Amino acid sequence: MPQTEDINFSDFIASSIHDMKNSLNIQVGFLEHLMHSYHDKVDPNTLDQLGHTIYEAGRMNVNLVQILSLYKLGNSIYPIDISERSVTEMLEEVVLQNQSIMKHKGIEIIVDCAPDHYWYFDRDLVGGVLVNALNNAYNYTQDKIRIAADIRDDQLEIRVEDNGKGYPARMLNENVNSNKGVNFSTGSTGLGFYFSSRVAAMHKNGERQGVLTIENGGAYNGGCFVLTLP
Amino acid sequence: MTITLNKSNTLVIDDFQSMRSMIMGFLKSMGVTNISNVGTAREALELLSSKKFDLVICDYNLGQGKNGQQILEEARHKRYIGHSTVWMMVTAEKTMDMFMGAAEAKPDDYLLKPVTEAMLSSRLQKLFEKKRMLEPIEKAVKSRNYAHAIKLCEEQLATPSANTQELQRIKSDLLINSGDFVTAKTFLSGLLAARNIPWVKTSLGKVHYLSKDYIKARELFEEVLQENKMYLEAADWLAKSLDALGESALAQAVLEKAMMLSPNATLRQKSLADAALKNGALELAQSAYEKAIKLGEFSVHKSAGNFAGLAKVITTQNDPEQALKILTLSRNEFKDDPAATLQTAVAESLAHHKLGNTEQALASLQEAEALIVETAQNTSVDTTIDMANMMFQIGQKDKACGLLESVVKNNHENRAILQRVETTFEDAGMAEEGLALIKSSSKEVIDINNQGVALANEGKFEEGIRLIRKALQAMPNNDLMITNLCGMMIGMMHRTGKDDRMLFEVSELLERVGRLNPTNKKYHPYVTLLGKMSATD
Repeated sequence: MPQTEDINFSDFIASSIHDMKNSLNIQVGFLEHLMHSYHDKVDPNTLDQLGHTIYEAGRMNVNLVQILSLYKLGNSIYPIDISERSVTEMLEEVVLQNQSIMKHKGIEIIVDCAPDHYWYFDRDLVGGVLVNALNNAYNYTQDKIRIAADIRDDQLEIRVEDNGKGYPARMLNENVNSNKGVNFSTGSTGLGFYFSSRVAAMHKNGERQGVLTIENGGAYNGGCFVLTLP
Repeated sequence: MTITLNKSNTLVIDDFQSMRSMIMGFLKSMGVTNISNVGTAREALELLSSKKFDLVICDYNLGQGKNGQQILEEARHKRYIGHSTVWMMVTAEKTMDMFMGAAEAKPDDYLLKPVTEAMLSSRLQKLFEKKRMLEPIEKAVKSRNYAHAIKLCEEQLATPSANTQELQRIKSDLLINSGDFVTAKTFLSGLLAARNIPWVKTSLGKVHYLSKDYIKARELFEEVLQENKMYLEAADWLAKSLDALGESALAQAVLEKAMMLSPNATLRQKSLADAALKNGALELAQSAYEKAIKLGEFSVHKSAGNFAGLAKVITTQNDPEQALKILTLSRNEFKDDPAATLQTAVAESLAHHKLGNTEQALASLQEAEALIVETAQNTSVDTTIDMANMMFQIGQKDKACGLLESVVKNNHENRAILQRVETTFEDAGMAEEGLALIKSSSKEVIDINNQGVALANEGKFEEGIRLIRKALQAMPNNDLMITNLCGMMIGMMHRTGKDDRMLFEVSELLERVGRLNPTNKKYHPYVTLLGKMSATD
């Protein structure tokens, strides 16, 4: 990373991102406002485009939040709050954030979790990981996504499964928890996986710590994104 | 009673008109009809003071002036909103103060931007449900029936729910506030054995601190910070523990580090300034007080102590004229607050004295004397000792001794404070007289107490109550004396029957003991007894 003598480059990026995020929030706020005020006054095509613009802005926000959170986690200044919460509530919220776009593309999304599951996690970080996983599934699924959670062996396992073709063998053989770095030729930044595995590792209980794995199979025999938290 | 979402009187606070109308649009489609909205903190507080709201949706960053957190603190502090009001903070970024620290300072929940209708609706439904569940507990706490409140917590904790953590925290706070440290320790250690949670470990540290086991407290707070350096509530308590252990330089270092991590904490900034002043680090003390004054500008934590402290530092650094200017600001700022004016007057007399203006120094002291009578039980030990110091310097020995005598009588069992009184006498070259005064004043307190106990044992409660009440006028903050008064009133009610006015007085007195010295051995048993008496008809 380029670094001049006096300026810490990552501090610079972090403060700029903070600023960008604020601008983006104002834009999203205005777009939502437009959507709200004009949903019965404009033609469906324009409304579609508006919806898609909001979705893309949302994706951008997710990325910015991830970078900013990683910066803060790296400097141990993230206000982490691992506390006991309802798992179902968190999963339902994650789905709520993506519902309109899923419906629009005709994707059926189901939540599978017993209502009395409570576990220890940081609501915003884990929510961010799952929104990211849903975004991926959205891109690769045919028409089904299942988000499921269960407590096994005294750990919480959260799975995001789709009915797409699954992960390519190359990816399954690599360890997702190690950062491969940015691949500019494929356009994959690796940010989502890197963020997710960092968040997993932040969750510790005694000697155990959280892990992220990917596999093929699951209820739909497609790609599975699995987050395990102790 | 907790109201339902669609019937709730709602206030939306956001500096952007478009955000306000968007959120109001969301609320309307949820069926909420009673919605007010404002764009500035000033308007928000005006409205909150004149009207009761069940739900407040508040943007954290409101541009210039107070932020959302400061509005919340002021609204709670001035009782514009009660326990039943749901406060939702909307923010671009989560900060520690949204989920850490005292319950009064926290919003019920926060929502990260961008806000969508689905998320807002989902969160609000849950918050209203939670308020409904916690309502009976809040009610029991409000009527000071802690034993019943704890029982209700335990009943609800029997079934796992989304409120588990909240209930555990309430139960822990109730146990600590009612002085039941033994049960609090067992409860918190049990939770810790299952999982290492920062608030649990911090609360356990607090219990050790309050039980005066500062070494164990220090260990726990240090552990919390090693595991999670942003958990700054532990830093505040670590500094207190270190101070109690006589490690005031370390305490200062801990606070300095915490201020770097979270530069906007007004109260912590003041603690840092006080610690630096105590350690003689005058430059740091000066800049810390200046920052504390600036941070406190829009906050309920605005404190005359910061102005007085700054003036003291500057006077010591040989600029008493500047100190007087600062104190004039303080005088205007806190003109309706006698305790604050007292602090200002004492600092003024110090500055005048330094300038060689004996007449004005005396005038300020005279004003302080009148104010100290007025503030009575609200006078701080620090201010009283400062004032005695000043009197010694100016040659008013008798008056100084009188003040220090009252400090001893109010705190005859508090070693740290007695030590400070001793030092004050030493500095005035009166070490021997000081020791004699401490001894005789303490004896006087003990004698009166013994007389009271003897009267109670003979069943002469009324006479005993009269005796202690009279003695308390000279030592309103002596917790031993207060608990003895409570004991007699309880004894009397056992004989002559329950009396609502007396019950209320005892509960108020015990609440003061809880603040003055929660380790008082009779505090917890009396709280329990009072709870039982209030519950029976």
